[in-house]
Amino acid sequence: MSDLFVALTPANLLACFVGTVLGTIVGVLPGLGPAGAMALVLPLTIKLGPTAGLIMLAGIYYGAMYGGSTTSILVNVPGEAASVVTTIDGYRLARKGRAGAALAIAAIASFVAGTFSVVALQVAAPLVARAALAFGPAEYFALGLLGLVLLANLTGRSRAKSLAMVLLGVMLATVGMDPLGGAVRFTFDLAGAQAGLSFVAVTTGLFGVAEVLASMTEPEAASAVARVKFRELYPSREELRRSVPPMLRGTVLGFLVGLMPGPAATIASFVSYGVEKKVSKHRAELGSGAIEGVAGPEAANNAAAGGGMIPLLSLGLPFTPSTAVLLSGMLLMSVTPGPFLLRDHPRVFWGVIGSFYVGNVMLLLLNLPLVGLFARIATIPPRYLMPAVLVLCAVAAYSDNNNIFDVWVMVAAGIAGWAMRALDFSPAPLVLGLVLGPMLERSLLQALTIARGDIGGLWASWPAAGMLVAAALASVAPAVSALVRRMSRRAV
Amino acid sequence: MGRDHWSAAGLALLAIGYLLAGRRYPLDTLATPGPGLVPLVAGVALLAVAIWLFITANRAGLADAATTGGLIEPAPRRAAGRPLVLAAALVIYAAVLPALGFVVSSFALVVVASRLIGAAGWWRPTLLALGVTGVSYLLFARWLGVPLP
Repeated sequence: MSDLFVALTPANLLACFVGTVLGTIVGVLPGLGPAGAMALVLPLTIKLGPTAGLIMLAGIYYGAMYGGSTTSILVNVPGEAASVVTTIDGYRLARKGRAGAALAIAAIASFVAGTFSVVALQVAAPLVARAALAFGPAEYFALGLLGLVLLANLTGRSRAKSLAMVLLGVMLATVGMDPLGGAVRFTFDLAGAQAGLSFVAVTTGLFGVAEVLASMTEPEAASAVARVKFRELYPSREELRRSVPPMLRGTVLGFLVGLMPGPAATIASFVSYGVEKKVSKHRAELGSGAIEGVAGPEAANNAAAGGGMIPLLSLGLPFTPSTAVLLSGMLLMSVTPGPFLLRDHPRVFWGVIGSFYVGNVMLLLLNLPLVGLFARIATIPPRYLMPAVLVLCAVAAYSDNNNIFDVWVMVAAGIAGWAMRALDFSPAPLVLGLVLGPMLERSLLQALTIARGDIGGLWASWPAAGMLVAAALASVAPAVSALVRRMSRRAV
Repeated sequence: MGRDHWSAAGLALLAIGYLLAGRRYPLDTLATPGPGLVPLVAGVALLAVAIWLFITANRAGLADAATTGGLIEPAPRRAAGRPLVLAAALVIYAAVLPALGFVVSSFALVVVASRLIGAAGWWRPTLLALGVTGVSYLLFARWLGVPLP
């Protein structure tokens, strides 16, 4: 527990500061999202060592959640997907002259939710980790499978497309050395592919290069930004009072949604908005500039970002692209997240959690006075920003293994990612398939070996059987509900 | 055939190619599973999903057409041209990187990309390229010791 204060050493404070500032900038900029930005700075963070490096990566992760709301409110352009909902009421509040209040409420809601989720994380992560100590290969296989099925259900508009992307990710993960026997697969005699496809190269390609290519077909964002003066940032007492209930509802909802695989922060913000539309006292005003429409979703997306850390830290399973990058960062720094993280690297574990507290305070202090500056960053024209992103992607991909092959992988992933976007395929499930693939393969093969080839060994224990049943239910549930809907429509 | 039909067909081809390439890895037995087992399962699953996507694509396509009045043209053709040129520039970048080195190739990439994305004239893209390559060289090669090509 005393390791919590590791976050307060000057080096770690600086790492946290740089991370949160970078994250806010990334959140503000439309285009580059947190996962791509984290992959970009991976080579830099590795030099910092595990604790400071992970603190910086985590800072980018939740800093982006803060920053995303700024441009939603001021420019009507969401910096990232999780703050799309905030544009609805946030921008209308800005047009009514309440931009300052909306920004302040967004920052406060983010702070409250972020702090709550860290407390919950601090309590829950060790408990989950302890429970997971009893997990064997069969349980891990079931958990990974359940995660990927839920992910396919929750991501994108088409389940078939998401599932195809998950499988493509798993297939890409089979390139290189196989996790058990040491056989080399699908390398086609390319020396660079022996160690497998570089995760950093694939991520920078899919989320960086592809974004640059896709941005070329989109119209440039409006560059007019409402100016906000510091003294306008105080919300009225009425606005504060109205924000408290949606903030608390959004926090709890967001945290629970954050535990699930998929684009949790985005879903959480939409769910919170939906709940406010049903239960809020001022629900009639939602959509025309109600403060509840900012407070709820902004709390929810931050709480979800915290909730998503629990499966990562205590099970070693990332369920969002951002936490997948965090996982790969940890592995590069020889820190294996999962049940043993707390035992083997207590300073890393508590240091990162401690940095969440520090980061939340920093973000609050940083965001309120500097809101105007961040809003202006959003108006940097893409013709100057995007070329720089390309070079950073190339550096990040190359420096992962100091290998030209990885630059080729990045270029290929970028072009493929651009095509995927055009054809309405989401890259997120692919990245998670790529990360979870080796774990799924290893645990499946180990479970089969332990059960001496008896396939029933996969569901011999209660937890494994329960999770496999849940996965089976989750894969048929959408079809069943569609059938029921069609039948009930016919009955009417 | 709609866009989704073509995607499904492409995915199916990919799955078949992957399965063919994976034939040389032994399956062994369930008690001592070999390195070919997971590729086989993943390839067959992707093939199944591709067929599912092909079958359901028709319905989804019709629904889309119904809501948009048949006017689904996601990207105007003129706009798709410039990203294609930039994609080609990236391929050339990767190809010349070992020979020309990081600084020269990145400088050229930034100038070309900036022009393609919409910068006018030459001196602004050149200045930008000088700044981006200079800063990243100092930051990564000098300060962080990344052995850039």
